Amino acid sequence: MDILWLGVFALLLIGYFALEGFDIGVGMLLPVLGRTRKDRDGIVAAMAPFVLANEVWLVAVAGVLFGVFPSIEGDVLFGLYPLVVSLLVSWIVRDAGLWFRRRADGSAWRATWDWAIVVGSYGLALSWGMALVAVAGGLTGSAISLPGLAGGLVVAALLAFHGWTFLAWRLAGQVTRARRTGRAFLLSACAAAAPVTVLLAVLAPWLLDRTAPAGTLSVLSVMILPFAPVMVGGQVWVWRTFGPGRAAFDRVPSFF
Amino acid sequence: MDVLDLARTQFAVTGSLHFLFVVLTLGLAPLIAIMHTRYAVTGRPVHERATRFWGQIYVINYALGILTGLVMEFQFGMNWSGLSHYAGDIFGAPLAIETLGAFFLESTFLGLWIFGWHRLPKWLHVACIWVVTLTAYVSAFWIMAANSFLQNPAGAVERDGHLVLTDFGALLTNPTLTMALPHVLGAGLWTGGFVMMGASAYQLFRRTAEKEFFTSSLRTGVITSMIGSLITVGFGFAQFSVIGDVQPGKFDGGGLAGVGLGFMILIGELLNILLVLVLVPTVYWLPRWRRMHPLLMAITPLPFVAAILGWLARESGRQPWMINGKLTVADAMSPGLTSGMVTVSLIAFGGVLALLAVIDYVLIARTVRRGPAAVTLGADAPADPPERAHALSH
Repeated sequence: MDILWLGVFALLLIGYFALEGFDIGVGMLLPVLGRTRKDRDGIVAAMAPFVLANEVWLVAVAGVLFGVFPSIEGDVLFGLYPLVVSLLVSWIVRDAGLWFRRRADGSAWRATWDWAIVVGSYGLALSWGMALVAVAGGLTGSAISLPGLAGGLVVAALLAFHGWTFLAWRLAGQVTRARRTGRAFLLSACAAAAPVTVLLAVLAPWLLDRTAPAGTLSVLSVMILPFAPVMVGGQVWVWRTFGPGRAAFDRVPSFF
Repeated sequence: MDVLDLARTQFAVTGSLHFLFVVLTLGLAPLIAIMHTRYAVTGRPVHERATRFWGQIYVINYALGILTGLVMEFQFGMNWSGLSHYAGDIFGAPLAIETLGAFFLESTFLGLWIFGWHRLPKWLHVACIWVVTLTAYVSAFWIMAANSFLQNPAGAVERDGHLVLTDFGALLTNPTLTMALPHVLGAGLWTGGFVMMGASAYQLFRRTAEKEFFTSSLRTGVITSMIGSLITVGFGFAQFSVIGDVQPGKFDGGGLAGVGLGFMILIGELLNILLVLVLVPTVYWLPRWRRMHPLLMAITPLPFVAAILGWLARESGRQPWMINGKLTVADAMSPGLTSGMVTVSLIAFGGVLALLAVIDYVLIARTVRRGPAAVTLGADAPADPPERAHALSH
């Protein structure tokens, strides 16, 4: 049972980087690839239908951290305090940019929220890189450090590459002037998730010693596992509905 | 203010902001699901326009519900790690179930609903908004279950200095949950109904061209509020005997709990009387009585105020306990937390979220003012090729 829930935790965290990773990357590349307003609208519209289904993986990670690893939930979040603050503020600012950018007309309004997407996306990538380095160091030193900053830049580069590959696949031959296959997109997803996967592999024995008691895990299994098919089904449905085979629908104005 | 006061302030500020948006989400979701179903059944454009107009208000409101909720989920670990150390084996379970079994689905299917206009088959699209509504209510259940455990730690015993789950059933049938959950859901319907009523009154007062549209929605708003207010008030009073048993003296004295409760009851009773004696009996004529419309607009914010007062009463009445009779808030605070840390995060979260909340309400007001013709949610592709449409607009 504890191995099952460690697996769920790992799957959710790896899935977050593989999926939300490209949203963050696309956000970082927005000013580079979106030179005109029309291009920026197209770029945001390409990722928009996936964002709600992608970012929720991290909400699930935090929930499982609390339910399955209650003894370390507080220590990890408290140990990363300044980084959790910057991660959350970045996430909030990025999402506000997405939700608000098309709610009014005017170029100043649109530019403000497009910059919110960019700044929030960089904040997310750098916070994550620094957090992974701090956790790898056992949360002993300061959460913000020089190696942490280097880790932040590595994660930012990987997510930007993942975001670029997504755009070259979803909007083949358009803003990136390149075409990538679904297989290339899968590989960039693996690259985006690689750092956190290594970290989880190293920490697995330590995590396994700190799961909640069997009674709590049984309750979680009974209450959550029956919904797993619907959760997976919803995610698959999102990709079937908004994947690149549906370009004929792209004339419908995007809500984000 | 010492560090404990700051951490409590942060929770109160972010929690109150969160609930302002959640309470409207809970009220509007079922109304929009019903409108969308009526559109699917009848195919009448009036129902499509209603679904998209109120749906856009709902999703703009929803944005801040998510953003404030993110901070809620993470600040337990940041500021209150003593809670997860002492009771995480129980308190963590409902929160984990909420994120995976409810919110994960709610967010996925909301994305499908928002971006699925003109793409998804009709009935599958309707199914999405029903999944969103259902999971919103399931979310409310688990969050209230977690909160009720703090009010009355049922189903747990203390072993080796921390709480162990002994009876999951007792956690779900906690009397502080079974009476409070309908109270909260009723308040949601009341708030949703009032927003619909107030927005419609504004449009009718301005002699809108959409007279039929807003006449119908004003009536829907009043009737929904009536149903919501009866549930809220009924289950509100029903809680007193439970609280008398498990938290005697909760509202005694002149503290925040007593004052919050008093003003909440005052607002609730006055609005309830107004609904029962005036608004519901005259609901047929109300859309035409322009003189009444400013009053309807003026009272629209009151259910929001009452909802926040209700939470202040419920939460501050538990002091000094985090878990009633078991763990104090002082002991629940993360060891090593400093005033500097909480001050910075309070300003960052509070400042950013308050600013975005104001912008969000301005955008909702703008959507109301511009009316159903200007809605962008579910807007169709332009009929003409883009170049020609562009040329014509000049």
